[in-house]
Amino acid sequence: MNGILWLELTVGIIVSFTLLGIFIWGAKQGQFDDGKKMMGGLLNDSTEDLQDAVKKDEKVKAMKEKKALKKKENQ
Amino acid sequence: MSIVKCSHCHLEFEEKVMIKESQNPELNFCCNGCQGVYHLLKDDGLDSFYDKMGNNSIAPPIAVDQDSTNFDMESFGKRYIKINKDGFSSVDLIIEGIHCAACIWLNEKVLNTTDGIVDASINFTNNKAKIVWDEDTIKLSEIINKIRSIGYNAYPYDRTVSEKKATANKKDYFIRMSIAVFASMNIMMIGVAKYTGFFTGMDDEMLRMIHMAEFIFSTPVLFYSGWIFFRGAYYGLKNKIVNMDFLVATGATLTYIYSLYVLFGGAGHSYFDSVAMIITFVLVGKYLEVLGKKSAVDTMDKIKSQIPLEATIIQDGGKKVVSLDEIKIDDIVEVKNGEKASVDGIVISGNSSFDESSISGESLPVSKKVGDKIYSGTINTSDVIRYKAVKDYANSTLNTIVELLEETLNSKPNIENQANELSKHFSLTILTVALISFFGWYFYEGDFESSLIITISVIVIACPCALALATPIASLIGISWLSREGLLFKEAKFLEVFAKANTVVLDKTGTITHGKLSVTNINMEDLSDIELNLLYSLCDSSTHPVSIGVKNYLEKNYSSLHHLDLENIEQLPSLGIKASYQDICLFGGRADDNIEHENTVYQFLLNDKLLATFELEDTLKEDAVDTIKYLQGQNIDVIMCSGDNEKIVSKIASQVGIKEYKSKMSPIAKAQYIKELKESGKIVVMAGDGVNDAIALSSADISISMGNGADISIAVSDVVILNDKLEGIAKSFYISKRTYKFIKQNLGISLVYNIITIPIAIAGFVIPLVAALSMSLSSLLVVGNSMRIKNKDIKYGDKK
Repeated sequence: MNGILWLELTVGIIVSFTLLGIFIWGAKQGQFDDGKKMMGGLLNDSTEDLQDAVKKDEKVKAMKEKKALKKKENQ
Repeated sequence: MSIVKCSHCHLEFEEKVMIKESQNPELNFCCNGCQGVYHLLKDDGLDSFYDKMGNNSIAPPIAVDQDSTNFDMESFGKRYIKINKDGFSSVDLIIEGIHCAACIWLNEKVLNTTDGIVDASINFTNNKAKIVWDEDTIKLSEIINKIRSIGYNAYPYDRTVSEKKATANKKDYFIRMSIAVFASMNIMMIGVAKYTGFFTGMDDEMLRMIHMAEFIFSTPVLFYSGWIFFRGAYYGLKNKIVNMDFLVATGATLTYIYSLYVLFGGAGHSYFDSVAMIITFVLVGKYLEVLGKKSAVDTMDKIKSQIPLEATIIQDGGKKVVSLDEIKIDDIVEVKNGEKASVDGIVISGNSSFDESSISGESLPVSKKVGDKIYSGTINTSDVIRYKAVKDYANSTLNTIVELLEETLNSKPNIENQANELSKHFSLTILTVALISFFGWYFYEGDFESSLIITISVIVIACPCALALATPIASLIGISWLSREGLLFKEAKFLEVFAKANTVVLDKTGTITHGKLSVTNINMEDLSDIELNLLYSLCDSSTHPVSIGVKNYLEKNYSSLHHLDLENIEQLPSLGIKASYQDICLFGGRADDNIEHENTVYQFLLNDKLLATFELEDTLKEDAVDTIKYLQGQNIDVIMCSGDNEKIVSKIASQVGIKEYKSKMSPIAKAQYIKELKESGKIVVMAGDGVNDAIALSSADISISMGNGADISIAVSDVVILNDKLEGIAKSFYISKRTYKFIKQNLGISLVYNIITIPIAIAGFVIPLVAALSMSLSSLLVVGNSMRIKNKDIKYGDKK
């Protein structure tokens, strides 16, 4: 009986510390720097915004490639 | 008369003043700006902004006449624009006009979908934005114009070292606190099993398992989250001070060591839960302090962003744009319409009028001619003017104000020093008592383990949890009550100062009065319909407060008014407005500029013949007399301070029953006066709303600003009265005093608790477990007592 409890406790601690690690990673990335925006963002989240985020990533990638190419040409 | 909401900004206005658009549903706009932005968003498919906005309202779009090309200038680039590793440009901006999450969404959406912008991210809490863009595709001025086109404005700001430090510090504390809270919550859950086991019985193996889990969770709390207490204790000892950090660090470490001893073979109970709780409780309090400091840094950045970037000087017959630091005394500076004067000086050519509200509080533009003084920070509202600099930028009025604000914002927390001083003595006393108990018991009984247990019991039982909770819990309840009444206290500590305050200094315009002019006296011949409509049309051609006051009077008293198309409309600075209609020459304003009236006067002349004279006055707020009477009844000195002239100030003072008043006060004089009051031992509450009140507000023990006041005064104030009613001051006094009474009761409870329990602990009758439980019980008593604060309706004066 105690053996199972030890196992449960160990797994529980590992899982909870993993989740804490993910939270700290998010905090260090600046995800919680702006509390008001985070809460507001939750209310306004939509599929349209997700699509915008994808489009923005693609745009930024293309811009970076273009910039790098230009830099190479100038060298 | 029905009230309708503007379809864009959601502010409410009378239906007849709205711009209507017949659609289904019907659209109503309070101004052309709102109408323009509404259609722009609709055309660009961004109208989901209004769904996201919900019932929130925003300020109508700001009409910005400023030229944005200065954002593309080399001097601007050198100072504000940085190039990142990918070769993109980046700038830090403060966005003006952000009110809700929908505003953030709109700005980010518009900017991020604009070609050439790599990233635009706006912080909602402090309205700071970081924009990254490709200089080859888009210019910064175009980005600024984009922001302005949707009704917002942007100013650059210099990301200072202090801001970077404050941001990093906030993040560091946030992570430490999160870990402490996470671990404490888990330990509390495990604690339920542990304490139940004590009563129902459990085997040693089970207890060891629970202790092990508590050990795993409490270790990061003590050594990672609690690291700042060890650091604080070290620096305290280095300066020969035993501070609260030392007590927290010692108590937590001793408890941890003893618990380790129990875990790895010793007899007794472990107290890892106490270790985590002690650190977590105190750390949350520290985090709130860090937030306060960060907000002071953000406030300063907002103020600094209002400073003009450069100025135009006349050199060798030509114009040259220079940075403010390059302006020397005797340089000739040119200021165009809408621009801010950058340094103090004297007019050498041109006539114009300046908005000096930021410096003197004077609400009406002041005319300037050759020989008149120009103050830095004031805005030219009319024609181009040239003046000779008499001071460099560092010594000019605007910079002096900014430096004073910086000083006062940084030196605010007096009360914190007092609290630290008190806790220093408390910590030292408890530590001494604990040590005496240890040695006393060790020499008396010779048993190290039981002596250590008693020492820990003393430290745990005396752990100032109830003492620490006494103020914040009562404050929290008081503050939530205040916020329901529309009174926003930025920090809980202001409740105590408010309750102790004995002097209230009130600004006049916007605080005691509405700040809107209305007609009080009229001398008018019988005007024909055409003359009346000409007067109405003339008033409607100007946005000057006096014209608006007369226009409102006409609309209220005459029903059949209609617009006539006036021609050659010309604003005469500080005088009025001139226009023509067919062959009739119209003038509205002050025909005799040199006579000082008690009230503001508006004269209407038709072909130089005086037809009507209106006297206008600012109206008192409905609750002004009651509020001031209540304050005086509480033995509080009420003083009125205003930048206006003696006649106007004394008149208002007598109307509201204020005996002591000061007129013609500049912002610096107001601040100085408040400092003098404080030096004479008074605890001063200052209420104001204008930009000119900002320094005085930051100098007071408690500063209150009205909700519709200038951004800067709201930023520097400790209390904001959201509904703009003066009775908010009376309510604040009532609730603060009641809350403070309960804070004192709570402190009494915790004191009695310590007086009773510490001797029992010293006598060895308490094991650490009971010490921890009784510590929690004392906290519960304090919380229960605090809940009684709200059990009463607000009563002040005759009001309920």
